[in-house]
Amino acid sequence: MSIPGPVSSDVLSVRGLSKAFGAVQALRDVSIDCRAGEIHALVGENGSGKSTLLGIASGFLAPDEGTVDIGGRRLRRHSPAAARRLGLGIAYQDYSHVLDLSVAENIYLAMPADARPPYGRMQSWAEETLATFKLDISVTAATSSLSLAERQLLEVAKALLTRPKVLLLDEPTTALGPDAVEHLHTLVLEQARAGVGIVYVSHRLPEVLAVADRLTVLRDGVGQGTFEAASVSEDGLVALMIGRPLQVAFPERAALPEEAEVVLAVSGLRGERFGPIDLVVRKGEILGIAGAEGNGQVQFLRALAGAEHATGSASCGGSAYEMHSPLGPLRAGVVLLSGDRRSDALFPVLSVRANATIQILRRLARAGVVGRSPERRAIADLVERLRVRMGSTEQPIQSLSGGNQQKVSLIRPFLRGDVKVILAEEPTQGVDVGARFDIYEALRAKAAEGLATVVKSSDPLELAGLCDRVVVMSRGRIVQEIPRHELGERRIVEAIVGSRAVATAPAGEGAHP
Amino acid sequence: MRRGWLPLVLMTTLIVALGAYTEARQSVFLSKENLNSLLIEAMPLVLVSLGQASALLVGGFDVSVAALMTMCVVTASFTMTPTMSGLALLPGALALVAVGIATGVFNAVLIRVLRLPSIVATLGTLSVLEGASLLLRSFPQGAINTDVTNVLTSAVSFIPLAFVGVVLLAALGDLWLYRTRAGLALRAVGLDETSSRRLGMSTGRTVLLAFVVCSVMASIAGFYLAAEVQVGSPIVGNQALESIAAAVLGGASLAGGKGSFFGTMLAALFLTEINNVLPLFQQPAEYADMTIGVLILLALVLYQAPELIARFRAARRRPGELPAEMPAG
Repeated sequence: MSIPGPVSSDVLSVRGLSKAFGAVQALRDVSIDCRAGEIHALVGENGSGKSTLLGIASGFLAPDEGTVDIGGRRLRRHSPAAARRLGLGIAYQDYSHVLDLSVAENIYLAMPADARPPYGRMQSWAEETLATFKLDISVTAATSSLSLAERQLLEVAKALLTRPKVLLLDEPTTALGPDAVEHLHTLVLEQARAGVGIVYVSHRLPEVLAVADRLTVLRDGVGQGTFEAASVSEDGLVALMIGRPLQVAFPERAALPEEAEVVLAVSGLRGERFGPIDLVVRKGEILGIAGAEGNGQVQFLRALAGAEHATGSASCGGSAYEMHSPLGPLRAGVVLLSGDRRSDALFPVLSVRANATIQILRRLARAGVVGRSPERRAIADLVERLRVRMGSTEQPIQSLSGGNQQKVSLIRPFLRGDVKVILAEEPTQGVDVGARFDIYEALRAKAAEGLATVVKSSDPLELAGLCDRVVVMSRGRIVQEIPRHELGERRIVEAIVGSRAVATAPAGEGAHP
Repeated sequence: MRRGWLPLVLMTTLIVALGAYTEARQSVFLSKENLNSLLIEAMPLVLVSLGQASALLVGGFDVSVAALMTMCVVTASFTMTPTMSGLALLPGALALVAVGIATGVFNAVLIRVLRLPSIVATLGTLSVLEGASLLLRSFPQGAINTDVTNVLTSAVSFIPLAFVGVVLLAALGDLWLYRTRAGLALRAVGLDETSSRRLGMSTGRTVLLAFVVCSVMASIAGFYLAAEVQVGSPIVGNQALESIAAAVLGGASLAGGKGSFFGTMLAALFLTEINNVLPLFQQPAEYADMTIGVLILLALVLYQAPELIARFRAARRRPGELPAEMPAG
């Protein structure tokens, strides 16, 4: 439990860190150290201070109190450049890519200025670099054209370019499918064997436990202790994180009537990365979409919501709807919960209240004027029910943790009376264990009201626990359908792996240029 | 980078087309005298537009440039008087550059330290400079040394040496921007400041530098404005919006990170050409403003066209021909 003072082999030593943002104490006297060659996991709920800790350790934020030593040397100037010079590499959860630049240019910029090759050699150098990380990404591609999984792996590769003594990984697997996670873990273990200290932040306890040597648990900005990974169980960790014993639980699933009415029907839908797809979702059903990342699941879901170009047809409640813009699906009662909350779904500087009610202002308005109190009344009960953690509903939504932001975006379909279909893209991405259950429960409650729900998730366990039926996509098509009585994490993972084996079987096909 | 050529091609075409059309109607256009005066006339706008392009590259605006040019003209009427000669003029000339550097640092501090949006910050600077100019010279007064103006406008045949200078400067600027590490870093800061900071770049210094360059270019433009008016007038500078127009026509993105110094130079030349030919057709100058406005709108649509077409094509693509970046499972 107690952490000894800095030892010479500590590549990162953080002592007595405190940091407050306004009235919120994000960190209170937190210490953590990471030895050379060690994988040290940092776990805790959203808002427990993990990101703040990484932000300070990497020089992006200045602490109110406390010290950071990297490779035995004190970080005196709090800037990312200074931390890098001392030997710290960091892979940010939301990346450090300049999306308008090419992959090669991004890799080049990630290199410390004095270690960059001549400008003219950038392209070939970038190709060699990616090859050493076994990444199959075109260096001339615009970074914005990469899938989220590719961006995430590229982010880790960039952090390693500086040959750091200590590597911080902030939720490095959120967008990764099982195979990519394995790829990443191989890379991480390789680095650890080479003597790099790794601080690994993740929500996915099984993944963390599979690679970590030690774990430190944070709760509400306070350290809950550091443990040998071999000595702790998942249950024990979860109990430390949330302060009460809690299984990763899923709400009860009521039996669906045999031939429930079809709410969402898709036929011959095709778009840039998927299709043709035929699919029906019935009243009260939660349908899961599984698959390795980048196989068209996201694009398919977004096309259904009119956010991605597609041909073919979709109908909601028996009548076909327009998919040229998000307006057609919205009018038909099809609502998308985007996985990219920050840029797609929320207005970061607006309050929780404004973000929740933005789609139903007309209903709340009297003679064209929206009163604050009807707005507050409309959301008060939902904020309570979804257990949104915040100071007040007038707080800007960007000051909430990721899980709580997601809950607020879930309030919207609850407020609209006319929703027939919810399309949820990674509904619990970056969301802590406690909040996950609240979100599952909310989705299940809406399903019980007769909505059809489609959930796209990269977490097989989540799909197995939440859904009534799961379809597995590969190379843009549905390759398997798993009925409820067969659902299980193992069954889904097998389907993903199996379907990939089928998809890549013909020699040459699917090969990269 | 390939798309970056569009503004250069468009601007060159327009300059040549307008020149040819004018020459066909009014043969005086291609006379050496007219070309010489056109190029001299273009100098202030070209210089200040190059500066503006650097502010736009880091995602900012500088609307204080015109007021700074005025301030420089007024300063010149004190520091470069007709009674001076030779080296005695040097401190006076440096004073103008010093005014430029001070203004650039002031703007950068407002933007970086006080976190004001650049358009608001430089609007404030504009008012301060305008007031200061009027305080120093409440009406046009104080002749400016003609030795200086003669040097500034010296030419080989009809081509002013200074014009050769800005062409070289713009070309080198683009080479720097698209063929060097520092240029790439500047564009990265303009495109995405958070990521750039995370990658260890000194974003504050980059923005400071860009705004100082902008102001210094404006103060050099002030020399040419002084050469043009030759008197300490407190109301001469009005190129703020035109300089933004030139940078945008030259390919700069208002969101930062994209732009071309050479394109900006061509666009500034073209805008001056419009102003130059209208009197030849006995057309009122108001037409120039309207023409420029319409051109900017057309150019913006045209510059975005490749992106729109690419998006349209991508959407039409069939699943059979998956894009290259599709990851293998």
